[in-house]
Amino acid sequence: MGRQAEGGKALLRRRIAAIASAVSATSIAASFLIAGGQGAAAANQAHGAQIAAACASCHGPAGGDQGIPLILGLDEQAIIDAVLAYRASETPSHVMHAVALSLTDEELASVARYLSTHGGEENAR
Amino acid sequence: MKTWTRREFSTMAGVAALAAVVPQAVRGQSKPRVVVIGGGVGGATAARYLAATGAIAVTLVEPKRRYATCFFSNHYLAGLRSFESLVLGYEALSERYGVTVVHESAAAIDPVAKTVALDGGAQLPYERLVLAPGVAFKFGGIDGHDEAATEIMPHAWNAGPQSELLRRQLESMEDGGVFVIAVPPDPFRCPPGPYERASLVAHYFKQYKPKSKVLILDAKDAFKPQDVFEDAWARHYPGMIEWLPAQFTGGVKAVDLKTRSVITEGGTFKAAVANVIPAQSAGLLAQRTGLTDESGWCPVDPATFESALQPEIHLVGDAIIGGDMPKSAFSANSQAKPCAFAIAEALTGSPLFPPHLFNSCYTFLAPDDAFVSALNFKPDAEAGRIELVDTFVNKVGESAEIRRRTAHEAVGWYAAIAHDTFG
Repeated sequence: MGRQAEGGKALLRRRIAAIASAVSATSIAASFLIAGGQGAAAANQAHGAQIAAACASCHGPAGGDQGIPLILGLDEQAIIDAVLAYRASETPSHVMHAVALSLTDEELASVARYLSTHGGEENAR
Repeated sequence: MKTWTRREFSTMAGVAALAAVVPQAVRGQSKPRVVVIGGGVGGATAARYLAATGAIAVTLVEPKRRYATCFFSNHYLAGLRSFESLVLGYEALSERYGVTVVHESAAAIDPVAKTVALDGGAQLPYERLVLAPGVAFKFGGIDGHDEAATEIMPHAWNAGPQSELLRRQLESMEDGGVFVIAVPPDPFRCPPGPYERASLVAHYFKQYKPKSKVLILDAKDAFKPQDVFEDAWARHYPGMIEWLPAQFTGGVKAVDLKTRSVITEGGTFKAAVANVIPAQSAGLLAQRTGLTDESGWCPVDPATFESALQPEIHLVGDAIIGGDMPKSAFSANSQAKPCAFAIAEALTGSPLFPPHLFNSCYTFLAPDDAFVSALNFKPDAEAGRIELVDTFVNKVGESAEIRRRTAHEAVGWYAAIAHDTFG
């Protein structure tokens, strides 16, 4: 049963990663003058941004050394894995369990993509 | 173009991309105007996230130059934090985010002409208005407790001079006295606040005035999470805190300022220090503008926070009928973001997605013992209200280490939400 659950989770991770890749593909398409693609990429980015706004209430720079980590610039898959672990209560946290349960797979993919992409830009500065 | 530092950017996460999707044509023209009235957590967050679109001219109207947070003000009352540590300013909102901050009072709103009249006589036109007026205190429910009486029996339910007065009273109180907290009827700002206040003042007494007691006279017969509080009171402050529900006392009916007594139907309690918290309603400007219903609070659309009574006026924070969302700073901060996104959609055509609404409230039982209530909500368009989806709260019997970690996390939470709100 444990193995089955593990298999299910691996599937879920792959599914969310696939959604995130689709988001990424649209972003790349955007830079190739596909008008529709550009709109979709921008919309995906805006969706991730609006969810990330909720994250920003707690995950600010000032709280980073006091038990609430910074999440911008984290690896996309690491964000997805962490949120799935909170969703399944494998990592205990009342706050993150409530957050994880509120996100659909598509929303998790969008916000993970957004946070990882934008953090990366920031780190390069 | 502005280059964001990592520090600035990390709390701009939600709004940076919004600017990217606002049509260029809109950005080239004169920007649509949004006036935000009220510089508390809801108003400041809305102003900040609206201004960060880069496509909206935002004016924040707030008479005070400094804002003291209600959250963590019980720490100040217990001598665990300085008052200064609660104080935030509006400089970052104006200098970093381009919000025009006007330190005047809003005298009146004309919802037809779409203007805000300031005390100084100026008129501010708007395309959309955000009103975050907080709560007003309803004096009259307790005989003898009017605005002037708060100079003797402070409510300290706005952080500011009232908190400083209550702190002075607690400091000068002789050991052996009774600190009475009169808890108002629902709904009121910060539901766990009175019980956290009892806990932290008991902590202060335990160290400096060990013969003193805390007496809570409640207008209700239960509170949440009652078992977590009562367990902590037994562990940390045995025999020091007594809670009397309304069914025992009949509720607080009057005060006698001369003898500093709090009078209930069932008896009179003589206080060394009395903290009488009045019943509450939406802030006065909301009442005067016709934004409140018969309950005294403001009905709003649960997704966009537009008033159900006056179009193109949005409300966030303690003043609204938030459905299952409690009146808290976190709720106000959480509501202000989808409100800003909805206004940006209406004025600039930027995309809008289903809101994510949360409330994470940290409550201290002792300096190293805290619990968190984590709730998520979603708007129910059909019912026209915000519905609770999940609740998770710390439980009785958890390890001291979990509670210590939660207390530590709470300090990080304070810093983060202060930054997310005020920049």
